[in-house]
Amino acid sequence: MTDELNTVSDDDLHAYVDGFLSEADRARVEQWLERNPARTEEVRQWQGQATELRAMFSTYARSDERDRALLSAASGRQAAPPSGNRWNAGLGGRIAAGLLLFAAGAFTGLYAPDILAPGRPEQLAQVGESLPRQAQSAFLIYASEVRHAVEVGPDQQTHLATWLGKRLDHPLNIPDLSKLGFSLVGGRLLPVNGKAGALFMYEDASGQRLTVLLGRNPDNRETSFRIDNSGGVETFYWIDGPIGYAVTGEVPRALLQKVADECYRQFESARETKS
Amino acid sequence: MSSSRDGANADAGADGPASDRFEEDVLALMPALRRYSRSLVRSDPDGEDLLQDCVEKVLARRAQWRGVNLRAWAFTIMTNLSRNRHRHTALHPQVELDDDLGLQVETRESDPLERSRLERALNGLSAENRSVLMLVVIEGYRYQDVADMLAIPIGTVMSRLSRARHQLAEAMKDDNVISMRRPK
Repeated sequence: MTDELNTVSDDDLHAYVDGFLSEADRARVEQWLERNPARTEEVRQWQGQATELRAMFSTYARSDERDRALLSAASGRQAAPPSGNRWNAGLGGRIAAGLLLFAAGAFTGLYAPDILAPGRPEQLAQVGESLPRQAQSAFLIYASEVRHAVEVGPDQQTHLATWLGKRLDHPLNIPDLSKLGFSLVGGRLLPVNGKAGALFMYEDASGQRLTVLLGRNPDNRETSFRIDNSGGVETFYWIDGPIGYAVTGEVPRALLQKVADECYRQFESARETKS
Repeated sequence: MSSSRDGANADAGADGPASDRFEEDVLALMPALRRYSRSLVRSDPDGEDLLQDCVEKVLARRAQWRGVNLRAWAFTIMTNLSRNRHRHTALHPQVELDDDLGLQVETRESDPLERSRLERALNGLSAENRSVLMLVVIEGYRYQDVADMLAIPIGTVMSRLSRARHQLAEAMKDDNVISMRRPK
């Protein structure tokens, strides 16, 4: 009926509940609400939620005597360079993990000989298919890790490249993605297609992460770029002879494609200079 | 040793007083960070875990901080971390059990039943909608501030806020029907 009917938007109602309106707008919304009981009920619910939520979490806004220790522990971890001991511990851990994998393999081999029978062509095809799946799992598992996202940090790039290259049995360079706003977080060894593979993690200034995975490709073929999406996690992958590559992230597809292009270019040119 | 030579703190010799002051500032923020972190997750242990991750990240990135509004900057980092975790637990939902261990321990001025229902309804929100709701309702940020912090358009802030509120109201309503029939 009146002009005011059209002057109150949903945004106004939220701003009313959140106390962001001027005196005049407040009055205007209140007048409007008097004539709109259904919306009034809704606004009451929102106000009730807000009160309840504030009460619910207010007790957490406190200091804790361990806060200072937490802080110095956190900054200590960053200041300390990886010491020889830590390095050895990491190596020990990896050997232990390798033994475990071996044991698991022996176990399943014992109880499920049919499933694992090697060499059947369709089996190999499946393994190839699963490269994006493996890349996505690795992304989901490691990208959300804060303290142990990588085994070797960016301060030891050369070592990282040599080490993982050796395990992968393929000379390896680590792509530099700084042009696209991503810096190296580090890398780790992980199983891909049942063999040693390499994972590099990158991160932009806002903490958005992406991963580059390299694994041995069982059936020495080549593919063009392919794309795979699972639950919002996007993967660009390609196979180039003995090695499969997968770039994974939760970033816009266009950006991820640029990253994949850049990785491809850098892996290619490194290979050409080596051969 | 990592060399800390950022021009912003040029007055301080090497990594002396300046880094200490930064840590003091973070320390002063701990209550705010603790509350925000708890408001994003399902249980107290998850809250403390997220808080630790965030503190670690804030310290690791201190060189990237532009020197204004440390609180908002830390909140942005926390929001990103929680989104990563949320996505991770959504795909690997082994922490589901935490649900009931959650809040009952704490505050109880209002109806505890009501509160645990709200808690459950909250856990149904997506990480994106939940963080916007908390930044506005609990932390008191203006819509434009939230847009800036999360690098999203203000229209997206409004639609996330609206979705969160409607979804909570809806969940509470559904619950109502059940719990009113259950007694007797």
